[in-house]
Amino acid sequence: MLDFSVYGQKEPEVYAYKCPQCGTLDYPAPMICKKCSTRRDPSGVIFSAWEQVPLGGKCKLLGWTRVYALPEGFDVKYLLFAVVEFENGLRASGRLLVDDPQTGMELTAKVGVVKEKVGEDVYGFMFDAA
Amino acid sequence: MRKVAIVGIGHTVFGNLSEFDLVDVMSFASANALEDADILKDRKIIDQLFVANMGGGIINHQTGIASALVSRMDMEPAMAELVENGPASGASAVKCGYAAIASGLVDTVMVTGGELMRTVTGWKGTDFVATLLHPEVEYNYGLTLPAFAGIFTRMYMERYGLTERDLALAAVKSHENGARNPYAHVQIPVTVEAIHDGENAAVINNYVAEPVRLYGTCPVSDGAASLILCAMDSPKMKYFTKKEPILIAGVGSATDTHCVHHRKDPLDLKAVRLGAERAYKMAGLKPQDMSFAELHDAFVILELAISEEVGFFEKGKAQEAVREGVTRIDGRLPINTSGGLKAKGHPVGATGVSQVYELVKQLRGEAEEGRQVKNPRHGLAVNFGGFGNNVAATICSKEA
Repeated sequence: MLDFSVYGQKEPEVYAYKCPQCGTLDYPAPMICKKCSTRRDPSGVIFSAWEQVPLGGKCKLLGWTRVYALPEGFDVKYLLFAVVEFENGLRASGRLLVDDPQTGMELTAKVGVVKEKVGEDVYGFMFDAA
Repeated sequence: MRKVAIVGIGHTVFGNLSEFDLVDVMSFASANALEDADILKDRKIIDQLFVANMGGGIINHQTGIASALVSRMDMEPAMAELVENGPASGASAVKCGYAAIASGLVDTVMVTGGELMRTVTGWKGTDFVATLLHPEVEYNYGLTLPAFAGIFTRMYMERYGLTERDLALAAVKSHENGARNPYAHVQIPVTVEAIHDGENAAVINNYVAEPVRLYGTCPVSDGAASLILCAMDSPKMKYFTKKEPILIAGVGSATDTHCVHHRKDPLDLKAVRLGAERAYKMAGLKPQDMSFAELHDAFVILELAISEEVGFFEKGKAQEAVREGVTRIDGRLPINTSGGLKAKGHPVGATGVSQVYELVKQLRGEAEEGRQVKNPRHGLAVNFGGFGNNVAATICSKEA
């Protein structure tokens, strides 16, 4: 079996951003900390680019839908989408893999390919049964 | 601040106008407004144009639309700017027009909003509107405006006991009005039997984004609407003698988080509430003073949720008003007398202007038979952009 880890290949992840001053987490990356107004510099040249903290694990289903009218690039009959809340209080939208969901149910967030573009896979949250 | 009046209104039919050119469609509505204001020949008295359009650059491959419109109308050297604020572009352009006159910068403004969306496939159209979502954490997933409407509707149903039948009733109400509006995209009335109660309802009215069904959404439309604004204290008011001037009594807008998941309570449409509050404050009026309203029902659920946020009904009670017929044309507070986005259609850049067009038409007493509100004094329009992240409200009043 090939071991890709020797090439530095990492599992795809979705990150929250941690304010270096007060430790507040946000997702997606803000430009100014909501709590203490510390600035983030995406280039990391003038200020810190902030620490990236993997976001995932256990979460709770807040709201969901099954969509039949999908935009260009999604060639399936339907997809389910959800808004969830993680244990650290952060929230996110993403794909839902449970076909018969109940609002409030426990889920686990995985990271997978949510969109296939020509020559590029887009990774994002896939919420599955806990 | 100076008082600002709407002295001319124009509209095209909403529907499939894909055989025409975007600037032609917008110009046609503009010419209708100039004619209504009786200044077609004197159109060069217009100092400034504000043009509302969301997708020209993406779906029609045309930019610089404000300049193109001025030239097509032979209105140079008027000042002209484009206002792009997603589906709330129209009301934002009205607000800019109001501000330009009230501040004393100019005396006369033409506000024209338009969109040509049927030139692309439904797939592409849905994708185009979805570009207003967060590109990385929403759009990339294939999330769309209908998807967020689905999530919102389910949460609303679970919290407040709204039913699919309530949404069908509100849709039937709007289609009744739309059937009497010669500019509406859909002029065929529907029955609650056909879209909910009957045995074929599930086929006729299929799910788009559960629990939102086809009749819980608006059609994708082409079209344009236009308004002529003038300062009440301007000597140019002498041109506008044929029609009753209708005052812009209040304008207000507000923003909310770009990402829906950042909202503490996703059912709390803060930008709607604040935008309307700002407009009420400026007008010195209250929700109870409104004789009727045009509320941005891109999804029928939004008509209900907005009607609560603007203070017409208590939170979670709008469906009771729908059941009791309060919002019908003969009810205590008619909502979406034009047919709303539901029946009239939703050419995104045109919608906010079209809503104010309807306020003026009603306040002048010019609405078609069967959809004229009795003796209206004040009307409220709410134009909803994003999934509630940028909302603009306009209040129009008859002159005291």
